[in-house]
Amino acid sequence: MSLYKSAVGRPVTTMLVFVAVAILGLFSWSRLPVDLLPEIETNAIMVMTTYRGASAADIETNVTRPLENILNGVSDLKHVSSSSKENISIITLEFEYGIDIDVATNDVRDKLDMVVSALPDEADTPIIFKFGTDDIPIMLLSVSAKESMAGLYKILDDNVATPLARVKGVGTVSISGIPEREIQVYCDPLKLEAYGLTIEGIAQVIAAENRNVPAGSFDIGSESYSLRVQKEFTAADEMLGLVVGSADGAPVYLRDVATVTDTREERAQEVYTNREVGGMIMIQKQSGANSVEIARKVEEMLPKIEKNLPSDIKIGTIVNTSDNILNTIDSLTETISITFAVVMLVVFVFLGRWRATFVVVLTIPISLLSALIYLLVSGNTLNIISMSALSIAIGMVVDNAIVVLENITTHIERGSRPKQAAVFATNEVAISVIASTLTTVAVFLPLTMITGMAGILFKQLGWMVTIILTVSTVAAITLTPMLCSQMLRLDAKSSRLHRIIFTPIERALDALNNGYARLLGWGYRHRAVVVTGAVVLFLGVVMGVGRMLKTEYFPTQDNARISITVKLPAGTRQEITRDLALRINDTLTAHYPEIKVINFSEGQADTDNALSSMQDNGTYLISFNISLVSVEERDRGLTVIGDLMRKDLDKFPEIRTYQVVEGGMSGGTGGQSVVDIEIYGYDLASTDRLAADVAARMSQVEGCTQVNISRDEYAPEYQVDFDREKLARSGLNVSTAASYLRNRINGSVASYYREDGDEYDIRVRYARRFRESVEDIENITIYNGRGDGIKVKDLGRVVETFTPPTIERKDRERIITVSCVVGHDAAMSDILAEAGKVMEQVEIPSGVTWQFGGTFEDQQETFADLFTLMALIVILVFIIMAAQFESFTYPFVIMFSIPFALVGVILGLVATGTPMGVMALLGILMLVGIVVNNGIVLVDYTNLCRERGMGVREAVVTAGRSRLRPVLMTTLTTVIGMIPLAIDKGEGSEMWRSMGLTVACGLSFSTLVTLVLVPILYSLMADFGERRKARRAERAARKALSV
Amino acid sequence: MKAIFISFNQALYDQIIDLMDELGIRGFTCWETVTGRGSSTGEPHYGTHAWPTLNSAILTFVDETVAPLFLDRLKQMDEASQMQGLKAFCWGGVTDPF
Repeated sequence: MSLYKSAVGRPVTTMLVFVAVAILGLFSWSRLPVDLLPEIETNAIMVMTTYRGASAADIETNVTRPLENILNGVSDLKHVSSSSKENISIITLEFEYGIDIDVATNDVRDKLDMVVSALPDEADTPIIFKFGTDDIPIMLLSVSAKESMAGLYKILDDNVATPLARVKGVGTVSISGIPEREIQVYCDPLKLEAYGLTIEGIAQVIAAENRNVPAGSFDIGSESYSLRVQKEFTAADEMLGLVVGSADGAPVYLRDVATVTDTREERAQEVYTNREVGGMIMIQKQSGANSVEIARKVEEMLPKIEKNLPSDIKIGTIVNTSDNILNTIDSLTETISITFAVVMLVVFVFLGRWRATFVVVLTIPISLLSALIYLLVSGNTLNIISMSALSIAIGMVVDNAIVVLENITTHIERGSRPKQAAVFATNEVAISVIASTLTTVAVFLPLTMITGMAGILFKQLGWMVTIILTVSTVAAITLTPMLCSQMLRLDAKSSRLHRIIFTPIERALDALNNGYARLLGWGYRHRAVVVTGAVVLFLGVVMGVGRMLKTEYFPTQDNARISITVKLPAGTRQEITRDLALRINDTLTAHYPEIKVINFSEGQADTDNALSSMQDNGTYLISFNISLVSVEERDRGLTVIGDLMRKDLDKFPEIRTYQVVEGGMSGGTGGQSVVDIEIYGYDLASTDRLAADVAARMSQVEGCTQVNISRDEYAPEYQVDFDREKLARSGLNVSTAASYLRNRINGSVASYYREDGDEYDIRVRYARRFRESVEDIENITIYNGRGDGIKVKDLGRVVETFTPPTIERKDRERIITVSCVVGHDAAMSDILAEAGKVMEQVEIPSGVTWQFGGTFEDQQETFADLFTLMALIVILVFIIMAAQFESFTYPFVIMFSIPFALVGVILGLVATGTPMGVMALLGILMLVGIVVNNGIVLVDYTNLCRERGMGVREAVVTAGRSRLRPVLMTTLTTVIGMIPLAIDKGEGSEMWRSMGLTVACGLSFSTLVTLVLVPILYSLMADFGERRKARRAERAARKALSV
Repeated sequence: MKAIFISFNQALYDQIIDLMDELGIRGFTCWETVTGRGSSTGEPHYGTHAWPTLNSAILTFVDETVAPLFLDRLKQMDEASQMQGLKAFCWGGVTDPF
């Protein structure tokens, strides 16, 4: 009592407390960083071990397996997967979400220490990497140049990459697509042989000549001087005059046997942006830094940077992940504003008075802003989840204020003064307001306790809605009565306009009340019909329509990005790859006017480029990065375009495989939806065959637009098979011979050419035209210690072979994964069902097992978590209601609204063809807490009527008639609050659309059923109770009589 | 002096105090929360789930000349808002002990 009394009695204090909350909220809003999702800490650790010279199979047996066996004992480990390829073993440890990765890293390090001694001597010490979503580049910039192309790498490195790397939060800035400067010394093997020279000899001469040597200091008279030899090359041409040998007493100059060009490295990735060749700058952020903030700073810096660059260099944006984040948040902000306006309108229509509407609607901004304070204090961001929480809450926060305001109005209408009415009316309803808030909080608070991926996503949602509802309840019992006492008047005067608008509304609502009362009367007379009808409806929908319900994990988010990887047959020449890439580029640009930027890179990255060598690259690989215009500006969705692109790619016969990834990533939250069929088995050949068979069958399945097999094909290569005996006879060994080959083909880095503080490789090798055929290799001359030249063909054979692919393992078994991408017109459950059938049809060799993985596994885990949570929530809600009514029967009756919410959800999802994913399931969880509120209101009032002396039937009908309006009003504000979410078409809206739809459909359907079914079930229970009471009384009376 | 006992819906408290001030009635005793129900019509005031409203009661001793006016005004107040519930009882011949 004291709380509302002091609130009403001290309007200034009350007002200012809430003003303070609002101001703090606004402050938080201005300070909150923006991000796409709540921060997801990395849950993977990579262990990389190199073992030079070992084949994939050797690596697997000697490095990967011992490491896997010991690492398997690390706690909280979910999966161990590994890939063993030539020279290197990479083991990825996937942990449960939400664990402390630093602790896990230490654990891994300890385990590694135990096993290192058991590894082969040649193997390097395993290196540990942590990686997560932060490693995904946040910005890709394109660079185009004309005249400056030659020195572009240096210009970009000095003027763009270095300043950008200084931006706070930027991790690495890497340049690709621009070959680095290199001095090439191209030798003619025929001339070398004629003069008896070797590549090695020339390299030595160059290294010996290209020197600056300090020679000490010496004194002349009273002065001391230092002495230097300064003979480093100042121009590449200088080298031509080097004496590299002598023939017949005359010096042989380098120009006699070689050409020297100051040019670029031979093999490099080429990058085309919008069909123009150029470079690409990739910006990655530091772990934990805010993408939007970094992108903003980078964008601010770019014009300044561009000013310092030669005028022909243009920098453009290929991908800016922050665009999508900002657009998503903008579209959510818009949704929230619409929701706010719509809820306000509903409240106004029902209340019919501006002042009352103002009082009620004021609770919305105050409670929402209070949640923003929480976000800032807890170090969170404005993201999809936190913004959705705001949107969800809008429709719910007004409910309490409405109940309070209604009761105050009633008191005023009875003749109380507003001030007194405010206090006493609030006192009357406070308990039921708190109880109905508790049932909703019972849903959201447990959300903060779940673990795993769902836990990370829904923790914020849980806290925010809990806080919002708590603040709204506090506001409803303090601020609302205070404002009512100040603003509400008992005035019968209403304007003409008001009468014109509201008389029909009033009439309609009254008619609705009467109709509903009649319906209840009829229902009471035909209780059996009503109950049977409800049961039939429930079973019919769940058994019948429920089968048509499709499931998924998260919907693919339309972030306007598509990435495509195209593989030609392994070993295809770069020129052919480039030509195909350009043709694909042209086809895509012609077919998709939605494309904003199209960028591709092809070719082998230099081994020095650490970043590029981590990614898959090769002369036969093309990777496209495509940015589309925002989803609001186009008709075709991301997945539709993706599917059409696949059809286009099918038309290129030279493509071996391709992978179109919508959204730029596969799996996870908002990525492409993929069904992985994991085939486990040791024998490479039989699992290969099975995978190929499965893939062929799956590609026939409708709705499955792309099938990829994880194990790559055997790549062709040439091997020089030296004959050891011949080598020995010539006084050679394998390493000497091999180094001769390497120096001629790959080249020998003789020395470094220095200019302006930078070093460039001076590479000595055969001129290009002397290393273009098998014969050229065979004709390479190798010199032994005696100086005899022997041809490679005399020492061994050059043979064509195939290198076995990378061996992948998961949970300590060899694995091959067939990934089936779910098309735009199918759901994950469709593909799963088909995949299940396919796996039944195919013959599975002995020793081979299979299971579903990928998105399906994540879905199963999250669904299991959420179902457990649902059971918990149902129990909590029951406990709260039982406590409120001090009864077991009434909560039980009210609980019947939950299955009908499910019926509404099934109908809504099936009708709109929306699959049920995590977000829809979250909607169902919320429904559990929301739908019971209507039942609580009805049952509470019916109880009250009976306590006032009415019979069961009369009480049911009276309560129904009297409570219809508040029930409809609170339901409508919630349902209508969800509709903007459900029908939003903005960027990122896929994420919350199914949740909005679920709550809107479930709540409306459940309310319609609840309005009839709950009173009828109540009357059945109550009649039964009355009869039992009567019988007891009769028995007691008889007993008394007999005594 | 006349004794006047008023039992009324809590919400009318301010109005009654205002009225007493207007009529120059200074002394009174008030029980802030009492329960009860009217003799013939009106809702009970029990402060329970079914009947959540509560009454207050005021006992005041007024001058014989003021009493009729006071009772009259109270009656008017009751009639203005029948739903609230207000009842006044009056008995005479009370002597002032001081």
